[in-house]
Amino acid sequence: MRRRPVPAVVTALAVVLGVTVAAVHGQPLSGEYKIGVLEPLTGPLAGEGKRHLEGYEIVRDMINERGGVMGKKLVFAVVDAPDPTAAASEANRLITREGVKIITGTFSSRLCGAASEAAARHNVVYWETSCVDPRFNKRGLRTVFRTEIDATGFGWYNIEFIAKHLAPRFNIKVNALKIAFLSEDSSYGQGVTESARQRAKAEFGMQEVAAEYYSFTSINDFTPIITKFKQLNPDVVHHIGYTNDAPLFWRQAREQTFLFKALVHAGATGYGSPDFGRALGGDANGVFALLEPGPGFRLEALRPDGQKLEGEFREAVQKRTGSYPLGGHQLAGGGLWLLKVVLDRAKSDDLDKFRDAVMSLDLPIGSVINGWGVKFGEDGQNANARVQHYMLQWQNGQLVTVWPEEFTTNRAKWIPLGAWDGRK
Amino acid sequence: MDPARRLGRAQIDVFAQLGVSTILLGGIYALIAVGLTLIFGIMRVVNFAHGEFLMLGMYAAFWAFHLWGLDPYVVLFVSIPLFFGIGFLTYVLVMRGVIHASHNVQIFTTVGLSIALQNVALVLWTGDFRTVRPWHSSVVIRVLGTAFNLSQVVAFAIALALTLILFAFMKWTHTGRVMRATAQDHDAATLMGIDTDRVYRVTFAIGIACVGAAGALVSPLYAVYPTAGLQFVLLAYVVVVLGGLGDMVGAMLGSLIVAAVEVVGSYVFGVAWKEVFYFALFIAVLVFRPAGLFGQRGAETLGV
Amino acid sequence: MASLPPGRRAAVGLLGAAALLPLVVRDAFVLDSLILILMWGALSAAWNVAGGYAGQVSLGHAAFFGIGAYATALTTARFQQSPWLGMVLGVALSVAAGGVIGYLSNRLRGPYFALSTIAFSQVLLIATSRWRGFTAGSEGIPVPFRPGLATLGLGHVAWVYMALVVAALYYAVQVWLERSRLGYQLAGVREDEDAAEALGIASRRLKIYAITLSAAMTSVGGTLWAQYVGFVDPFYVFSIDLSIRFALNTIIGGIGTALGPFLGSMLITSLETYLRATFSGVKTGFAGIYLVIYGTALVLVVRFAPEGLIGLAARFAAAWRVRADA
Repeated sequence: MRRRPVPAVVTALAVVLGVTVAAVHGQPLSGEYKIGVLEPLTGPLAGEGKRHLEGYEIVRDMINERGGVMGKKLVFAVVDAPDPTAAASEANRLITREGVKIITGTFSSRLCGAASEAAARHNVVYWETSCVDPRFNKRGLRTVFRTEIDATGFGWYNIEFIAKHLAPRFNIKVNALKIAFLSEDSSYGQGVTESARQRAKAEFGMQEVAAEYYSFTSINDFTPIITKFKQLNPDVVHHIGYTNDAPLFWRQAREQTFLFKALVHAGATGYGSPDFGRALGGDANGVFALLEPGPGFRLEALRPDGQKLEGEFREAVQKRTGSYPLGGHQLAGGGLWLLKVVLDRAKSDDLDKFRDAVMSLDLPIGSVINGWGVKFGEDGQNANARVQHYMLQWQNGQLVTVWPEEFTTNRAKWIPLGAWDGRK
Repeated sequence: MDPARRLGRAQIDVFAQLGVSTILLGGIYALIAVGLTLIFGIMRVVNFAHGEFLMLGMYAAFWAFHLWGLDPYVVLFVSIPLFFGIGFLTYVLVMRGVIHASHNVQIFTTVGLSIALQNVALVLWTGDFRTVRPWHSSVVIRVLGTAFNLSQVVAFAIALALTLILFAFMKWTHTGRVMRATAQDHDAATLMGIDTDRVYRVTFAIGIACVGAAGALVSPLYAVYPTAGLQFVLLAYVVVVLGGLGDMVGAMLGSLIVAAVEVVGSYVFGVAWKEVFYFALFIAVLVFRPAGLFGQRGAETLGV
Repeated sequence: MASLPPGRRAAVGLLGAAALLPLVVRDAFVLDSLILILMWGALSAAWNVAGGYAGQVSLGHAAFFGIGAYATALTTARFQQSPWLGMVLGVALSVAAGGVIGYLSNRLRGPYFALSTIAFSQVLLIATSRWRGFTAGSEGIPVPFRPGLATLGLGHVAWVYMALVVAALYYAVQVWLERSRLGYQLAGVREDEDAAEALGIASRRLKIYAITLSAAMTSVGGTLWAQYVGFVDPFYVFSIDLSIRFALNTIIGGIGTALGPFLGSMLITSLETYLRATFSGVKTGFAGIYLVIYGTALVLVVRFAPEGLIGLAARFAAAWRVRADA
């Protein structure tokens, strides 16, 4: 018999394909309720993705200690989504192979867009806990919800802090305050910075002296920027930095004696990451970062149920990771807890009942993990005002909560920053 | 008038600081490019995994610092032979089989290697960003109003030394001559009795030793994480093409030029367009003088 | 069909099987995998036109993919027009870009050419991510989903057929190239450009034709991808990883053959999906293992079977024939 090589190869491949695809599935056991968790676990975002997953797992265990959701044990089908194609594919797989009705995730804006589209086409709930793309809720999709505020909220809070807390203490009128914007150019950096710029100008009339973006993967020297900024002499530097560039900028600013009154950042990466403190030690003193509550956070400022919850959460994170909750833990954990609250109320994952339950929630600040409250809008977005964010400051190698003052025992120091060597 | 444009003391300070920045940055780029130009020049292999060896060099310095408190400059002395060995092994296990294969095969071999190495690092050491903070990383030297970071200065000095040593090696030692001969004409070299396989082994090993050393030297300056090599490798290619394949001095000068373009371009137009500047430079070189500013004319049409 | 050579028969068989699958299987994950296999296969075939048939190994094809993706995203999201219009615009822009790249890199060979293509794609990436006013910068653009063929808002089954049509078309283009005069001339240019020139072949012009054709085909693929996945961001659509993927599928399958890109896509895409599904949930520490396997597999395949799967198949066939005749 004559052999046909190509058809044979092709048939073999087709069989392999069929088998591999068929082999990829998982069935939930009875007594378990499975949801999908979609995070980047490989690729450039892997570090944060892993933290988010940790946060999810910790709160899942807390939930299960309390009886789980809808009377069943909460379990996860975890998938890795390093890029948008994978995000959409894996979302599909979660829905068709793992049979989930709710997917949560996703940390990065580029992933949440694609994944939520895929979920929407199957009418599966997409419970976003951290991506901050402002357009996420503006697509008219009934299935997407977001527990965290979007990037515009971060910018909003930052400017709030600068205008209401810092400017008076500098003895400068808000509309005479000179502010320089610097940012890494990912969707996160652009989102936060643009909304901050907007509010700074439109609402407070601050003087914007510069707005520079750079690529955080390739920036290796801030000298040109620092040299330029020195001449422009801003009062405040609004810098959204990532893990590598934040310490680099701070170090070079110090080297080149670039003096300014404050630096403000937002988010759990860059200045808001423990890596910053590790990289710079005591030299990190003074930087402000908008985050979830850190050390110094007054549990007493929360409502009683919130206190208990937050205390438990902190203990669990401490036990598992040896540190206080980091941004990733807080966003994921806080978001997952809110999901449980919704499911408790809806008692079902049917889309309409779910939506009704979501819309009916109305808890004040201080009620749940992170000291959040909750009130969703029709577009599925948790209100800015309920997702309290806090300003933290690096003091002696630690990020401590300094604002709003009623929530913390600590106070902001070094306002204005003064000489580089004077900040002890 | 725009303060940036007024001449005077302030302006001189600006030039001085930018100049210092250029030189120090150029030194770092040279360190990375030197190994690449050697491999590219003599073996005609596009090593896409070059950045990953840099990353491994950085991790080596990190773990030595973290576990045993060793300063990166001490680790350097271990890194060089260590990465020489790693380069040797990589050649024997991976590159030897494809040295005479088509470009595609070589490109994709090194791409596969790059993916594998990045993810081995991710699996073993997680995606967390690590830092190496020896005492000298925050020491600043001030000369006449300009600031030099000590770690950067040392990196530059060592880069310069390394380049000169390699240059001397290539020009005046027997092995160096043999390597250059093989680069110029592989077949003639074989006919002359040169063991080209040995030449390639040594070349690759030296190239990787250089970039591994570079890793130790830049570890106090930049964060260490599995994809840390990516940001440097493209830039290294621009330097290498600019300077001419296999040309040590070209690599050094090319590094300075690229650094200058970056720094000045960033200052004048804003940092957002930084990469565009050197890519534009790259394209311009490729179009008008592909052999590089210092390379042999017509080398690019040989393509190899 | 009996008169078709075995490669063609296999291709017809495969495409036929793909066409029948949605009638039998409704599982969206399987269909999604099939759609991706066909799309990546088609994009790899597009790359093959320049890289395989003309010997222009480009590592910057994501430039054209990204242009096609952004063309449709902007046309539908910003200007509320039909994605088909976006597709046409994307093709026009890609052809122009391909022409520019082809012209500027015309004299470059081997690694120099590859590097120049990388530079172009990265310049596009940066420009797109900075041009916030028009492209929404780094934040990317969500592509609106409006059901209907005119708006390319399709269900999974319809997407299978859409991808199939494109895949079949691109397969046919490659076959045409193999048998046409243009194809023979390109083969000459690929094998030995100087000799080809000496024989009077206008190699420089032909190389540009190959690149622009390849660019147009890639752009169409980018448009379809954007409509399917629904989100376009510059760091992905212009990424080097994507460029590498197109070339990779083709090389694994068999560079310069019509079926190669599709075979490669079948293997790589299913391998990737399977590995990611199996390993990513295990322990977060192990998340990268599937990529290590992927990278190592790539090194091995490229080393031991550089002609790709098709070449392997041919070698087995030859060995079998020897044994059968002995």
